[in-house]
Amino acid sequence: MSSSLSASERSRLTFHRHETKLATLLFVLGIGLAITAPRFFSSVNLALLARSMGVLLILSVGMLNVILAGGIDVSAGAILAVVSVVLVRLGNHGLPATVVLPLGLLTGAGLGGVNAALIAELRIPPIVATLGTAGLFRGLLLGWTQGEWESSIPPWLNAIGSPRWGGLDVSVLAAALAMLAAAWILHRTQIGRALFRFGDSPIAAARTGISPRQPIYFAYISLGLLTAIGALFYAAQLGAVQGNAANGYELTVIAAIVLGGADILGGRGSLFGTFLGVLLLCSLQQALVLLHVATYWQNIATGAIVLLGVILSSAPRLQRKLVLQQSPSA
Amino acid sequence: MTSSSSVSLGKFENPQSKFAKRMMRLRQSGNLQPAIVSLLVLFFCIYAGYRSGDFWSALNWQLLAQPLAEAGLVSLGMMFVIACGGIDLSVGAIVGVAAVTAGIATQHKLPAPAIESAALAAGILCGAFNGILIGVLRLSSILVTLGSMILFSGVALALSNGNSFAGFPESLLWWNDATLLGIPVEFLLFLATGAVAAILLRYTLWGHYVIAIGSNPIAARYSGYPVALTLFGVYTLQGLLCGMTGILLVARLASARADMGQGLMLMAIAAVVLGGAPIVGGSASVAATLIGVAAFYIVQDGLLLLDVPPFVQYALTSAMLLVAVAAGNLLRGNCEDRR
Repeated sequence: MSSSLSASERSRLTFHRHETKLATLLFVLGIGLAITAPRFFSSVNLALLARSMGVLLILSVGMLNVILAGGIDVSAGAILAVVSVVLVRLGNHGLPATVVLPLGLLTGAGLGGVNAALIAELRIPPIVATLGTAGLFRGLLLGWTQGEWESSIPPWLNAIGSPRWGGLDVSVLAAALAMLAAAWILHRTQIGRALFRFGDSPIAAARTGISPRQPIYFAYISLGLLTAIGALFYAAQLGAVQGNAANGYELTVIAAIVLGGADILGGRGSLFGTFLGVLLLCSLQQALVLLHVATYWQNIATGAIVLLGVILSSAPRLQRKLVLQQSPSA
Repeated sequence: MTSSSSVSLGKFENPQSKFAKRMMRLRQSGNLQPAIVSLLVLFFCIYAGYRSGDFWSALNWQLLAQPLAEAGLVSLGMMFVIACGGIDLSVGAIVGVAAVTAGIATQHKLPAPAIESAALAAGILCGAFNGILIGVLRLSSILVTLGSMILFSGVALALSNGNSFAGFPESLLWWNDATLLGIPVEFLLFLATGAVAAILLRYTLWGHYVIAIGSNPIAARYSGYPVALTLFGVYTLQGLLCGMTGILLVARLASARADMGQGLMLMAIAAVVLGGAPIVGGSASVAATLIGVAAFYIVQDGLLLLDVPPFVQYALTSAMLLVAVAAGNLLRGNCEDRR
């Protein structure tokens, strides 16, 4: 699943090197854990790790599309909250799963479409547009729920979230499917290639006949859709939702992708790197719990590892970018 | 064939209507967004004053001025950060670190000036940390501050063990209680800082460097500008302003918690953008930033007095940001792709 980019062979090499660095980091962490907390490698714990990765991985795949297209979406947490409340509320009203699920997915895709329209049609910069919609979506959601908890979930949702197959649940399967589908779309379809080219240079993409609208709509709507799928598992695993759910979750997602070596300026990034980033973040958190580290220190460790990933990945690339390629929009 | 082309040429020489001409001139003039925003806020003020008798009371404006000053200080720092082409996601976390530091200093029975210097020093240290990574190591600001946001919020939590602090000396709480001619001291401090920021931006070489780096970092580097030092200064200044905000927040709430700065980051970015500064950098105005941050707090306060539920306030202020930026973009005829 290595990335075959439109960029030169040399940047491909940089990529492989970053993923090698990440894998080395994971390997070191693994050895450290094998010595200090061998329980980490018990099958129960590994299944827990896989379950904790599911939702994050699903959202990361969508966010990777957006970041590849040179955008960013800080409203993903708000969309996650909206969809999970929609799913649980409608489900608790007695609507069948066959009605609620499509409605939830449609809500996610629709909210992603709102972001895309603001960015593509009104030309609002992505970070400003999604900053605005994050407040808008969450404000409207809280106005709807009046800050109340939905403390029970419908039985079919509960069934989705409960572990089966030796501790794994459907979210792991869904994350794997999302990865496979994204790999196929990004590397084997026209829209996927357009995403890379548009993110690398919107002007060059326009001159080769790629409409700027298509990649933007595709990226944000796919993120909305995947966020809706993530929301399904989020609600199912948690068993209760509220309007403030997943506050700041988008930043964890972005951190995982950054750790995975994607270029925040667009055009470069790989699914495998993203997977490694998510794996590193989740196993670090799991490890700190097993090592009985106080919760307060977990943020410090997470922040340090994200910064380490940034230093590892972006120093050589940014310098080259500054010299070789003057960004057309800056 | 020739006649038709001359006809169309004539059309081009003489633009369509008076209205179109005016629109053209509007588009060519400078930043219109502060004007649009102030006009919208003025209409809103008239409406709010009509619907609620308390809106124009002195007490309302006094209460409004304090949170405005706190967010305003962070926004001023964010203005410099955005002007030099960066972004700082860690401001809320730095405010938390500064507030917790003030709390710890209080526990050690230090006098008020020592508490204040400790909080300021904590803010400056955090800012300098960002500055070294972004300025000297040339890392991307959004990535660095994303990481340092998580890191600093962890530091604040670890320092405070998740507790909140109280028992601050009277001389620290003075910041909240004191007024001059009916104006809260907090707000005067904010205005003075704004004046200093305007001088820094307009009349110093450093301000010139900031704008130059924001408009074209490569040109700035090739012109021999001290890019690393300037960026280091920008993020350190942001840290200092976050430290000041931390002290003011502690004084107003008479307590200190690690998550105190929550929401300030988005508010500061939104305020700068609402003032019409391009998010890609290269342009800054203290007056526009003041208008941006004031617009947010005035509208929020007015909605509160109009009995609009707090959640809807949140949605409406976000919608205001989107409308203002979209309107500014359309008027300016902005056809570039901007991040």
